[in-house]
Amino acid sequence: MMNVKSYFLKSTPVAPLVVFRIGLGIMLFVSIIRFWANGWIEDLYIRPDYFFPYYGFEFVRPLGAYTYGLFAICGLSALFVALGFYYRLSILTLFLSFTYIELIDKTTYLNHYYFVSMICFLMIFLPAQVYFSIDAYRNRKIEATHIPLWCIDALKLFVLFLYVFAGLAKINPDWLLQAMPLKIWLPAHNDMPVIGFLFNYTWVAYAFSWFGCLYDLSIAFLLWNKQTRPVAYVLVIAFHVLTSLLFPIGIFPYVMIVTALIFFSPEFHQKVIESLQRLFFFSNEKMLYAKADYVYSSYGQHFVKGIFFAFFVVQLLLPLRFLCYPGSLFWTEQGYRFSWRVMLMEKAGYAQFTVRDETGKFIVVNNNEFLTVLQEKMMATQPDMMLQYAHILAEYYARHGFHNPQVYADTYVTLNGRLGKMLIDPTVDLAKEEESFASKNWILLYNE
Amino acid sequence: MKYSIVHSIVFFSIILVLGSCGNKDKGTTVPEGNPSDREAMLKNVADNIVIPANAKFEIKLDNMIAKSDVFRNNPTVTTLSEYRIAWAEAYIEWQKIGIFDFGPAADVALNSYMNVYPANVSNINANILSGNANLEVFESYSAQGFPAIDYLINGSADTDDDIVALYVTGEDADKRKAYLLRLTNQMHAKFEAVNAAWKGDYRNTFVSSTGTGLNASTSVMVNGIVFYYERFIRSGKFGIPSGAMTGTPLNASVEAYYKKDIGKILAQTAQQAFVDYFNGKGVTTGIEGPSLKTYLNALDAKDATTKQPLSEIINNQFTVVDSKLNVLSDNLSNEVLTNKAAMVAVYNEMQKAVRMLKVDMTSALSVTITYTDNDGD
Repeated sequence: MMNVKSYFLKSTPVAPLVVFRIGLGIMLFVSIIRFWANGWIEDLYIRPDYFFPYYGFEFVRPLGAYTYGLFAICGLSALFVALGFYYRLSILTLFLSFTYIELIDKTTYLNHYYFVSMICFLMIFLPAQVYFSIDAYRNRKIEATHIPLWCIDALKLFVLFLYVFAGLAKINPDWLLQAMPLKIWLPAHNDMPVIGFLFNYTWVAYAFSWFGCLYDLSIAFLLWNKQTRPVAYVLVIAFHVLTSLLFPIGIFPYVMIVTALIFFSPEFHQKVIESLQRLFFFSNEKMLYAKADYVYSSYGQHFVKGIFFAFFVVQLLLPLRFLCYPGSLFWTEQGYRFSWRVMLMEKAGYAQFTVRDETGKFIVVNNNEFLTVLQEKMMATQPDMMLQYAHILAEYYARHGFHNPQVYADTYVTLNGRLGKMLIDPTVDLAKEEESFASKNWILLYNE
Repeated sequence: MKYSIVHSIVFFSIILVLGSCGNKDKGTTVPEGNPSDREAMLKNVADNIVIPANAKFEIKLDNMIAKSDVFRNNPTVTTLSEYRIAWAEAYIEWQKIGIFDFGPAADVALNSYMNVYPANVSNINANILSGNANLEVFESYSAQGFPAIDYLINGSADTDDDIVALYVTGEDADKRKAYLLRLTNQMHAKFEAVNAAWKGDYRNTFVSSTGTGLNASTSVMVNGIVFYYERFIRSGKFGIPSGAMTGTPLNASVEAYYKKDIGKILAQTAQQAFVDYFNGKGVTTGIEGPSLKTYLNALDAKDATTKQPLSEIINNQFTVVDSKLNVLSDNLSNEVLTNKAAMVAVYNEMQKAVRMLKVDMTSALSVTITYTDNDGD
């Protein structure tokens, strides 16, 4: 039994947090550059005529050409975080700018962007700048070698949440008993060199599904434990490199590979820092060797602990909120986002909207006039986006000759290899429906 | 931190127990063929479908151009009727290759130059008068290709004698003939660019790109043909003229409006070409080879409850489409006016096929649909 009070008094070397700060900053900096270089700022945030804001965050508006400025701020603050330069301001700016970008359009929602946002949020409150940073170099008074243990455990705990929820989500009949959707995805890569031929075999899809599930459920514990850590880290690398080869999930695998380092010992991280010092010719004597503890002010400590407590309560409940909604989560997607359901389903859809008015006039909407390819693709399987789109259409056609336009959706959605079915009640005028946290009664449930 | 090991063991056990409950009803169907053979499918498509179909079309197109030249040099009722026959034959043959709307055809936007209808009569007349109108711009798409020739040889006057007269004694007879020549030259140039690419390097590029990513052949091909089916067969031939998509029937928007009596055969030919493509039927051999059908079967794509193969479900839907097509009369424009429900019925059945192709098939193939609907543009 661990005494809670004594646990919160424990301190630990700051090195793991510092290395994490550097890794996070560099990865996000590279990620922003990559995003920019691929032309995605233009494609995703400037070119679309319409956007799909998150419920409750409708005030987050796209910025047009200023989006480049937002990305520049985000990239620069990521770099500053890595350097530990005006750390508090930089990490706050990083969190706000990154989160703002993500909130512009839910079309681009990805679990790992959410993960990054949340990690940045936690990092606002952690003393990651007190060692091996420009801040500490310029102001030696803030320099410290040790920080409270819970500061690092909080990060580990969050990573554990991610993996365990991702693993729990895989305990479902499709994944374990049907090997879906891997049974669909793997054969598509059977021309991959060396291992490609394996993907033609059904048992491989089963093996991947089961391994993936066990991996997610256990990896955080295996990393936390000193004895199993080396093996676990090899698994982390193998698993994420493989997923990056198979799926278009960007930098996520590398984020996880770097993040997993947080579980390593302070001695390991101290060595990393020392090699960085050698690499960049810092003189060692300037670094502090005598133990010096970073201490939160009494008020600050209570404040941060309170925030973290609330944070983890929310993190515990958010992935479970789907239990409040009827029907299959993968089908209705009520409570799907922010719940670490990563690469879990093969879903595709086709949504045609008909706008009518009282005079009997109608038109089958050409989605291409309103949405980008990606937006249409995402909208066609996600009811809340369909609702937003229906409102976009109602507003547009009201201005173009339709009186009190009614919007009806004709949908056809396939999930994990099942034949397509109607997702939305075609008799419901979506223009009259409003978004809320209540269950959407116009989503047709999946009856197998 | 011993508790973490305990946790791991507990989790492992839960999983193993859960997993051992129902893992016995694994699929027992033996997949037909080898799923890895996207290359075999691509080869069959290139060598037994696209390239020979292009060759067949080339003959019909060349013949049409020859008859067009004969007519231009000697416009008579006889040369006109021969031109019409050759035009109709080429138009029907076009239905078999319009479907290859990917790769080189997409690069040159072949469809835009060959078959945008309804023909825009005022643009055609303006182009005739100007003599050097730019045929490469959007406004000129509907003033060239088969639909423009349809107007020029079938619809520009009431009687055959009057049509011929336009090319003999008409005020702009020379400009008219010059425009016909420009149109056939344009069709020839656009098609031959595509034909040459397939006979040249593109064939190997196509066959060797065996992935399923955005730019790999399977993806490019599936996107191209599904888009074609949705936009050019379903919407173009039925959805738009019947009013199924806008509520406003447009009988003049049918294909080959001026010829009147070949609309049905054009639609049936396009539909059959699509079905044959899906089933990998060789254009000259008539034998089915590796295809989307065999690939879907190899992937064991099927209805989870009935176990019916997806390829069979799709082919059944094609049969339903055929049955709705068969009851139409030859003059589709007339059908829009007098028998609209039958036209809408074809649209509705084609719409069901589109869903299966666009959602069920592409999902099973793990191919991304990279285009969006562009109906009614």
